[in-house]
Amino acid sequence: MSTALLFSQILNGLATGMLYALMGIGLSIITGVLNIPNFAHGALFALGAYLLYTVIQLVGNFWLALVLAPLGVGLLGVLIEYGGIRPLYKAGHDYQLLLTFGLSLIITEGIIIVWSPVGMSQLPPPLLRGGVNLGITFYPKYRLFVMLAAALLVLGAWLFLEKTRYGAIMRAGIEDKEMVSLLGIDIHRLFTAAFALGCVLAGIAGALTAPIRGLNPWMGVDMLGIAFVVVALAGLGNLLGSIVAGLLVGVAQSLVALVWPEASVAVIFAVMAAVLLVRPQGLFGIR
Amino acid sequence: MSELTRRDVLKLGGAAATAGLGFPAVLRAQQKEVVMLGLWPFTGAFSDVGPVLDRGMKMALDERGMKVQGKSVKYITRDSETKAGSATRRAEEAVDSDGAKYIIGPWSSGVALAVSEVAKRKKVFHYFSGGTEDISGARCHRYSFQWAASPYTAAKTVVDTFMQANPKAKRWHLLVADYAFGWSVEKYVKEVGKGHGIEFVGADRHPLGEREFSNYVTKAAANKPDVVVMINFGLDAVTGAREIFNFGLTPKVPLILTWSSGVEELVQLNPEIRENMWVGSNFYYTADTPVAKEFVKNYQAKFGGPPGYAPAAAYGMTRMMLHAMDKAKSTEVPDVIKACEGLEVDDLVGRMRVDAKTHQTLRPYFFMRCKKKDAMKNPMDFADIVATGSTPLPAEYAACKDIGSL
Repeated sequence: MSTALLFSQILNGLATGMLYALMGIGLSIITGVLNIPNFAHGALFALGAYLLYTVIQLVGNFWLALVLAPLGVGLLGVLIEYGGIRPLYKAGHDYQLLLTFGLSLIITEGIIIVWSPVGMSQLPPPLLRGGVNLGITFYPKYRLFVMLAAALLVLGAWLFLEKTRYGAIMRAGIEDKEMVSLLGIDIHRLFTAAFALGCVLAGIAGALTAPIRGLNPWMGVDMLGIAFVVVALAGLGNLLGSIVAGLLVGVAQSLVALVWPEASVAVIFAVMAAVLLVRPQGLFGIR
Repeated sequence: MSELTRRDVLKLGGAAATAGLGFPAVLRAQQKEVVMLGLWPFTGAFSDVGPVLDRGMKMALDERGMKVQGKSVKYITRDSETKAGSATRRAEEAVDSDGAKYIIGPWSSGVALAVSEVAKRKKVFHYFSGGTEDISGARCHRYSFQWAASPYTAAKTVVDTFMQANPKAKRWHLLVADYAFGWSVEKYVKEVGKGHGIEFVGADRHPLGEREFSNYVTKAAANKPDVVVMINFGLDAVTGAREIFNFGLTPKVPLILTWSSGVEELVQLNPEIRENMWVGSNFYYTADTPVAKEFVKNYQAKFGGPPGYAPAAAYGMTRMMLHAMDKAKSTEVPDVIKACEGLEVDDLVGRMRVDAKTHQTLRPYFFMRCKKKDAMKNPMDFADIVATGSTPLPAEYAACKDIGSL
């Protein structure tokens, strides 16, 4: 096995791992703060990709689309939390779970109605097409961009959660909602913000993925499974854990494909099972 | 009040038991109508194809006014889910509860092999179109027929034609879907390739439903191939082709989709991604036959776009089955099977003959070259047919030694 090949596979793993981390962080925030598993997270990822495609069709600008598409998904997130999840807080866990599952079906069917069930391709912007010689290997510019953009977003999310007052409130919400509420903080607004932030991150991941994997209405299904694996590995609400878990899954998948391609999907769940056997609370989790 | 006699009790009991078992409904169905099952993937890995397969079968039946040999056709569908367990259970239910005697589908080779066993056990007629050679090979029997070209015919058409056009392109890297269809086609691509002195510098297998192709493409690029050859299907093929473009292999390095659904896959790719792509398929909508022209015209009028391999296969299989019924002048399964064996007609893709010894439909296979963006006359003008091939599987490879009895 050549060094160049190994290097390329690690880069592939890091690029996809970063996307997995973005999905995982979003899901982790929602699950941690609202205490519901968001089954619509995959569908929102797909919606991010489709909104990117549509904005590019309308205005012809990839960069503007990359900003507007996740914001659109975030806006939908606000509406979902306000109009759907909030009335069900008192009804209990099962109802919220059913709601998000139903929403995932509605969003997927909505995509089919608006954009058709036939898949589509979205080319990267002209600036990022083709490859670049990294010395040791030739690598697609767009994947390098995704790696960098996802890393910056993850850093941004970390700075927001760790260094800002609202981020601290959100982390406190993950730890102990009642206490946050008793301190006079509007817990409902916190829930809305957390859900919207998680949706924005899913939307960004979807938009960034579109030029790599293309678009089809079911593209979120695989990602939803992986996002749950990342959350399970990381531990609930753990940002650093989500980053490490996302990268771990991405690189493991990539390296296994090098020696045993048929097992590259199964390895994701094998990694999860192995970690949970050793640390049931996840790599960095406390609950 | 008169007492019930032993004879009365027996009569009543017999009638109740018969009613309870539901025989009258099925018997009535058998007499008045012919029940045909379209076993299509409406959910699961090929869920995007299910509805178009359904269209194709309906169109063939509608052409006959939903009648055959003076009987009404009752067309029912079930979801195969691209899962062997679900597909076999639903096929059995359709046979037992709805009186289905004719099954067409499903869409995945692995699942079809399981359904073929149901057809054999339940003694119903089964037509399938797909890449496994086992239906007309090692697991052949009297009840199942194969509409798609033999994987050998496909490989021969693709490899011979490509090498004629690119005689120096001898380093091939294969990317193969890891199930029955992929293995069958891979075997013959390698076999035919030997005759051209092709060196297979790599051959990776990926799981069905793979979405992360970068790992495979990196390996392909590292092998510095003259050609990348994919033996996969549907979304796997689309995702793989896109990634091969993203990594900058195509259009510099030609990409062959050995066994494609044609339109359904090509429409999902931009013209830039399709450049220097060569595509083998069991159908392409510019096929120059009277039946194909009529079918394409009607399909476009009804659905607004040209048909791909999936609706064409469903349409073509249904037509072959109806031809067999016409030949048999009967709708009884044993009669129709005997009539289908050796059936020879000019149909959808040209001259078609069903080999009585293997139940393989001998027919042309298409090989296309995708057009550059500026050469396309309209958005659906994806490719030119550069060759059709119909070389049958040589006898020494035939694995169906004895097709058995009814």
